[in-house]
Amino acid sequence: MKFKTLIIAALMAVGGSSCNTKSFLDINTNPNQLPTSLPNYVFTNALNTTATNIAGNTNGQGSNELGFYWSGQWTQGNGYIITTSQFAYQFTNGDFNYWDTYYDNLEDYQFVINNADANNQKFLKGPSKVMKVMLFQQLVDLYGNIPYTDALKAAAVLAPKFDDQKAVYAALITALDEAIVDLKANPFTGGFSTSDIAFGGNITKWVQFANSLKMRILIRQSKVAGMESYIKTEINKIVTEGSGFITGYDAAIGGPSFFQPAAGQLNPVYDRWGYNETGAKRALNNYPRPTKFLIDGLKAAGDTLRLKRIAYAIGGENGNTPGVSTKAEIAANYAGTPFGASSGYLPANTSSVGPSLLVKGDYNRPYIIMTAAEVQFLLAEAKQRYSDVTLPNTAKAYFEEGIVQSFRVLGANTAGAAAFKGSKIENYDFDSSTDKLAAIAIQKWIALTNFSGLEAWAEYRRTNLPVTPQSIQVPDNKRPTRLFYPNTEGGSNSANVTAQGTIDVFATKLFWDVD
Amino acid sequence: MRKFLLTQLLLCLFAIPLIAQNRAITGKITSSEDGSPLPGVTILVKGTTQGTTTNSDGTFQISAAKGAVLQVSFIGFASESVKIENQSSVNLALKPDASQLQEIVVTAQGIRKNQRELGYAMSKVNTEDVTVGRSPQLAQALSGKVTGLAVYNVNNSVDPAVKIVLRGYRSLTGNNEALVVLDGMQTTSTILSTINPNDIESVSILKGGQAATLYGSSGINGALIITTKKGAKGKLKVNYSNSTNFEQISFLPQIQDKYGSGSHYATAFGTTGYKTDYLARMADNWRAYENQQYGDAFDGSMRIQGRTAEDGSQLIIPYSAVKDARRKAFNTGVSVNNQVNFQGGDETSSFYMSIENQSVNGIVPHDKSNRTGTRLSATKEYGKLTASFNAGYVQGVYNRTGFDFYNGVLNQPANLPLSDLRDWQNNPLANPNGFYNDYYNNPYFEADNNRYNYKDANLNGNLNLTLKATNWLSLTNRVGVMNNSRTGKNTVGKFTYSDWAKNKSYIPAPFYRDGDGTGIYRALTDTPGSVEDYSGTENVINNEFQIQLSKDLGPVSNRLILGNSLYQRTTNNILIGSSSIVVPDVYNVSNRQGILRGGQILTQERRLGYYADYTANYKNFLILNGSFRFDQTSKFYKPTRDASFWSYPYYGAAVSFIATDAFPSIKSEFLNYFKLRANYNKNANDNIPLYGLDLTYPNGTSFPYGNTVGLTVGNTLPDPNLKPEQVYSSEIGGEFQLLNNRINIDVSAYTQNSKGQVITVRVPNSTGFQSLLINVGETKNWGYEAELKYLIARGGKFSWDASVRYSYNDNKVVDLYPGINEFQIGGFSYANTNVIKDSRFPVLKTDGYQYAPDNSGRVLVNATTGYPLRNTSLLPRGGVLPRHIAGLGSKMEYGNFGFTFNFEYRVVTSCLVTLAVR
Repeated sequence: MKFKTLIIAALMAVGGSSCNTKSFLDINTNPNQLPTSLPNYVFTNALNTTATNIAGNTNGQGSNELGFYWSGQWTQGNGYIITTSQFAYQFTNGDFNYWDTYYDNLEDYQFVINNADANNQKFLKGPSKVMKVMLFQQLVDLYGNIPYTDALKAAAVLAPKFDDQKAVYAALITALDEAIVDLKANPFTGGFSTSDIAFGGNITKWVQFANSLKMRILIRQSKVAGMESYIKTEINKIVTEGSGFITGYDAAIGGPSFFQPAAGQLNPVYDRWGYNETGAKRALNNYPRPTKFLIDGLKAAGDTLRLKRIAYAIGGENGNTPGVSTKAEIAANYAGTPFGASSGYLPANTSSVGPSLLVKGDYNRPYIIMTAAEVQFLLAEAKQRYSDVTLPNTAKAYFEEGIVQSFRVLGANTAGAAAFKGSKIENYDFDSSTDKLAAIAIQKWIALTNFSGLEAWAEYRRTNLPVTPQSIQVPDNKRPTRLFYPNTEGGSNSANVTAQGTIDVFATKLFWDVD
Repeated sequence: MRKFLLTQLLLCLFAIPLIAQNRAITGKITSSEDGSPLPGVTILVKGTTQGTTTNSDGTFQISAAKGAVLQVSFIGFASESVKIENQSSVNLALKPDASQLQEIVVTAQGIRKNQRELGYAMSKVNTEDVTVGRSPQLAQALSGKVTGLAVYNVNNSVDPAVKIVLRGYRSLTGNNEALVVLDGMQTTSTILSTINPNDIESVSILKGGQAATLYGSSGINGALIITTKKGAKGKLKVNYSNSTNFEQISFLPQIQDKYGSGSHYATAFGTTGYKTDYLARMADNWRAYENQQYGDAFDGSMRIQGRTAEDGSQLIIPYSAVKDARRKAFNTGVSVNNQVNFQGGDETSSFYMSIENQSVNGIVPHDKSNRTGTRLSATKEYGKLTASFNAGYVQGVYNRTGFDFYNGVLNQPANLPLSDLRDWQNNPLANPNGFYNDYYNNPYFEADNNRYNYKDANLNGNLNLTLKATNWLSLTNRVGVMNNSRTGKNTVGKFTYSDWAKNKSYIPAPFYRDGDGTGIYRALTDTPGSVEDYSGTENVINNEFQIQLSKDLGPVSNRLILGNSLYQRTTNNILIGSSSIVVPDVYNVSNRQGILRGGQILTQERRLGYYADYTANYKNFLILNGSFRFDQTSKFYKPTRDASFWSYPYYGAAVSFIATDAFPSIKSEFLNYFKLRANYNKNANDNIPLYGLDLTYPNGTSFPYGNTVGLTVGNTLPDPNLKPEQVYSSEIGGEFQLLNNRINIDVSAYTQNSKGQVITVRVPNSTGFQSLLINVGETKNWGYEAELKYLIARGGKFSWDASVRYSYNDNKVVDLYPGINEFQIGGFSYANTNVIKDSRFPVLKTDGYQYAPDNSGRVLVNATTGYPLRNTSLLPRGGVLPRHIAGLGSKMEYGNFGFTFNFEYRVVTSCLVTLAVR
C-alpha cells in the first residue's frame, strides 16, 4: 500500500499528469446521505413532520400545546416547576419558535410540488398544496404578517419580504382552489397511495379536507368588517363544488400501518406525554392537566360522558387496566387544576389528560389534525351568520351534529349526545340557548379540547369565548394576542422583520381579532 | 513493509563497526567560564562520519588514528579542533560564543534551519521542558511555556482531550486548532494526549500561518512540530522513570449553604393563603425529596431526608450544612506513570526504543484508564543513503461514566452527607428505591449505571530515505501512516423500581405536609437500559518527497527545496444500539425489545501539493526566503467544476537581518545580538465541511418507520461557487541578547486577514432553508508577543533563570455578507454565541435578567409578582476568548537538584454558567 502510494507520488511529482490528478481527487461524493430524492419519499416525511410539529414529541413542544394552555383548556401539573413563559406570559423572541420548524416542513412540501411533474408523481401536488395552506394558515394565526409570496425560494430570495396577513388569507383560498383542481385531475397511481400517510391516496377525502380548511379560513374572518359578501360567495362556491367536508371521520396522519413500537416512531402525543416504546411512563406524563374551568364546566352541564373521555379521574390511568382510571370514574373523582396554579394541586390530587388522548399501549393511533366536529361548528356558524348561503342544513342541525361528532372522536357513546337536545342546558341545547353564536363557540371550544389547541386559541382570540379565568401567575388582565417573530428570523431577515413594526404581544392583534 | 522494518532493526542492532588501527582517545570537555562539565558536546573525526557526544559528566571516548583531527563543537560555544599525535586523552575548556548561541531548529517539512535564518517567530521546547514536573500529557506540559500558545482543556476526565490554539481565533466557525506534525507526518491533536513526553526530542512551534506555508491548508493555524528521539551514538543508555500524580477538585462553584431542599410548594401568588413573608413561604416550600434548594433556613433540627425505605430505615440527619459535602463526593485521582527507554548506536546507526504505561484512577468514582505505548526508531547510514524509520503504538483502555457526575452532585443540598451514600448496592437509603431525591438520583448509582467502555489502538509510523547524491543535492522521501481505531460499548443498566418505591414509600409524621396527596406520590420512571456498540477507524497516509539543492555563489549561499506532498485521510464509523435491555446486565444488542438502531459515517479526503522553498543567505547576516506552494484538494473537487475552484497557490517571503553581524560596531557589552525579522504570506484554506458541496436528502427524523421510507430536503444549501478561503498574514519581530547573553528578548507583532471564509450562514427559515454554505466575510486577527528570559545566576553548581511571557491577541469581524451584520454560531434559545460585524468574535449573547441601572448588580423584579424580569431579546455580553495570556517560569538548579515552576494567566471576559434555566 505504502509503496503503491509512493510510486503514485513519485509519478505525480515528475509527471503531474492532470488525468491522474482528476481521478485521484474524484472522491467527493457524499457516501452518507443521498444526493437526490423522489418526491414521494419527501411527501411521507413531510406529513409526519407536520404531525410532530403540531403535536410535539418527547424531544420538544409542538404548536398545539401552547394553544391548549392559552385557550384555558389545559394547565401545568404541579409536580413540575411552573413554566413562566407559558403561564406568566414572560416570553421573548427566543421562546415558542414554531416558525423555523414550520418553514422547514413547508420546504419539503414545496420540493414535492416543484418536482412532482418531472418525476411523474403529479398526484402529490394537490395534497402538498393543501398541507401548505394549513401550515400557512397556522403561521398567520401565530404571527400575523409572514413571508408568503417570497417564501420557500431558497437562494433566489435570501431575505423574503413579509405579506400582509389578510392578503395571505385570501391567497390561501385561491391556493386551495388550485389544489382541488390538481387533486381532481391527478388520481394516485401505482403503489404510491402508501406514501400518503394521511388519506391513503383517497382524493375525495383530500378535497373534503381542502373544503373544510376553506371553511376554517373563511369563518375566521367573519368578524372583519366588509368581508361578508366575499365569505358568502366563497361558501357558495364550496357548495357548488359539491365534494363536501370531512364528516364522520377526521383528518389525521399516521395510524396503525405507520407508527411502530420503537423509539421515535410512536404517535407523537403518546411519545410526549404518554409512554415510551416499552410502556414506561414519560417524565412529562403528569405535565398537562385539564383546567378546573373545563372540568367544572363539564360537570355543571352533566356532560359526564365526555368528561370521562377528556380526563382521567384523580390518580390517573390504571397501569394494569389501560384506558381506565385508577379510581372510580364518578364525577366526584374528577378535579381540575386552576389555570396557572404553581402549587397546591399535586398530580396525585388532580385529573390528568384522559383516554381520548392517552391509553397505555395505544401508541399507534392516527394523529388528528382536524376534527369533523370542528367542521360542523364552522358550518353552524356560517348558517347562523349568513342564513342565505346555500349550505343545505340549518344551523341547529349542524350544531347538534357537531356535538355528535365530538362524542365520536372522544370515544364516548354518541347516543349520549342526543340527551342534550331539548335539555334546556345553556349552550348545549341550541333552541334554548340565548346567544346562538356563543353556544356554537362554547361547544366548539369543548370539541377542540385535546385535539386542536391552536384552533382553540385562535377561536378564543376571535370570539373571546368561553370566558376563561386569567392565569394565577398574572396580576393584570392581559392575554397574549400573538407571538414575537423568532430571533432566528429577526437575526437573519432583520430589515423585513423590523418593517413589521414593534410587536406588542398583548396589544398587537391579528386582523381577524377585531374585539 | 514489515519485512523491511525487521531488516532495518536487525542491521541497527548488529552492525558492528570495524575500523582498523585506531586508538581509543578519552577526555573531558568543560566550560571555560566556570569549569563545569559540558554534556552533549559533539566530537567528530574530521573528514569522516565518525563521531560521538559527551556524557553527562562531560567525558567521552572515541577511537581515532594518529594524525586525525577531532572537531569539538557545542551550541553556544566556539568550536575547537585538536590534532591527535600520541596523546590518549583530550581535555578541553570551550569558550562561550554569543554569536553561536543560535540553535538549529526543525521547521516546516522537516527542513532544518539555523534559528538566525528564520524570518518569523518560532518557539522551541526541548525534552527537559516537557518532562520536568512529569506531566503525563504533552499539551499540559506545553501550557505556559510558549508565547501565543493557549491550551484549552476540552475535558479533564480519565481520557482528557485538549485543543491547542496559536495566536487566537482566525476562523469564524471552522477549525482554529494548530496542526500537529509528528516526525514529519501530519497527524491530529490525539497525539498530544497519547505521546510519551519522554520520547520527545523537541517541539517546534510555528505560530503563524506564514511558518506553515509549506504544510498547505492544514498548517494555516500554525503547527506543532514534534521530533522524537532517534537515539544517540554511543553506549546503550537505559532510562527509567516513575511518576505518581494526585489530582483533586480544585474548586467548585460557590453554592448557597443556608437553605435546604424545597421547591415551589408555598401557596402561589394570587391565590388565597399567599404569604407575603418570603421566609414563611420558604418554610412552606421545604420538601424532603426535592433537588431544588428553596427550603427554609438550616436550623440544626433533626429532619428526615426523603422517605421511609422498604426495610423501615430513614435518613434522619441534622438540618444543617455539612462542610465540604459536595467536594467530598469526589475521589482523589491517582495516576501512575512508568516508562523505560533505551538508546544507543554506533558511528553509522542509532536506535531508540521506549515503553510507557500510565494508569489513571479519576476523581469521579470508578472512572479509570490504562494506556500503554511503545515507540521504536532507528537510523542507519549506508554511505550516501540514510534510512530511518520510526513507529509508535499506543493502546488505551478506558472505563468512564456517561453520567454528568458533577451536575448530579450539585443537585444535592448542603445538608446531605453524600459521601456516606456511596454503597447503593447495599445501603437501602443509597439505592434508587430509597434515595431521598425524586428528581436527581444518587449520583453514585448513576455514575455506575451509565458506562462508557472503549479501547483505543493508535499506530503511527514513518519511513524515511535520504540520498545525498552529491554535496549540493540530496533527495528525501518519507511515507507516514497513521491508523487509529476505537471500539467501544456504552451501556445503561436496566433498573426497575420496587413496588414499595413506586406506591408505598411514605414520609412519616411530623415531616409529612398537607396537600402532598397521600404523601406517596412520586415521579419515578423505570430505566429500560440501553446498549450501544461502535467502532471507528481513521487511516491517514502522508507522503513527502523533497529535492534539496544547495550552492554557494560568492558570499551568498543558496538553498532550494522542491517538494511534493500527498495526503489522504479515510474514516469509517459504525454504530449499532438498542434502547432497551431485556435481561439485566447482559449488554448485547440482541438482548432487546424493539428495533435495532444503527448508522454509519464514511469519509475520505485527499490533497496533493507541490512546493518550492528558496533561501539566500548573504554572509550569514541577511537571509531572504521565498516559498511557493500549489495545492489541489478533493474537498472542492467535482468533475464538472473548473480547476480554479479546487486548486490554489500560496506564496510567501521572509527576511531576517542580524544587525549586530552586519554592523559589528554596534555590538557592545550591553547589546550582544540583535536580529530583525519580517515576513508576508498569502495562504489558502480548504476549510469546508466534508462533502459540503452537495445539498443532501437525509432520512427524515426517525425514518424509516418499518417499511415506510421518508426523506427530507437538507437544511444547508451550498453555494454552487464555493472556493477555498484566502488568508493574508504579515509579521515583524526582533530578537535581542543583552548583558553577556544574560537577557534574551523576543518580540513580535502580527496580523492576519482571512477573506472569503467558507461558513454556514444562518438564513431566514422562510427561505425554506436554515443555512447557506457560502464564502463570506473578512476577519482580522492581530496581536503582539513578548518573551524575556533572564539568566539570574550561573556559576559553580548553582544556576537560576527566569522568564516572562506575555501575549495579546484580538480579532474583529471586518465584513460578513451583504445585508447581514450578525449571525449565530451556536447555543440555545436563551444564550448563544454570535459573530457580529465590527466586533470581536465569538460574542456571547444571553437574555438573562434585567439589572438595576445603578450597577448594584440587583435584579429588577415585577412589582406585583416578585418574578425577576427577563430581557425580551438577547444582549451581547462580550467575547469568550482570552485577549491576554501571561506566563511566568523559573528554574533553579543546584547540582543534581532542580526546582521549576510555570504559571499561566488568561483573562476571559465572558462565560456562561448554567445550572438550570426556567
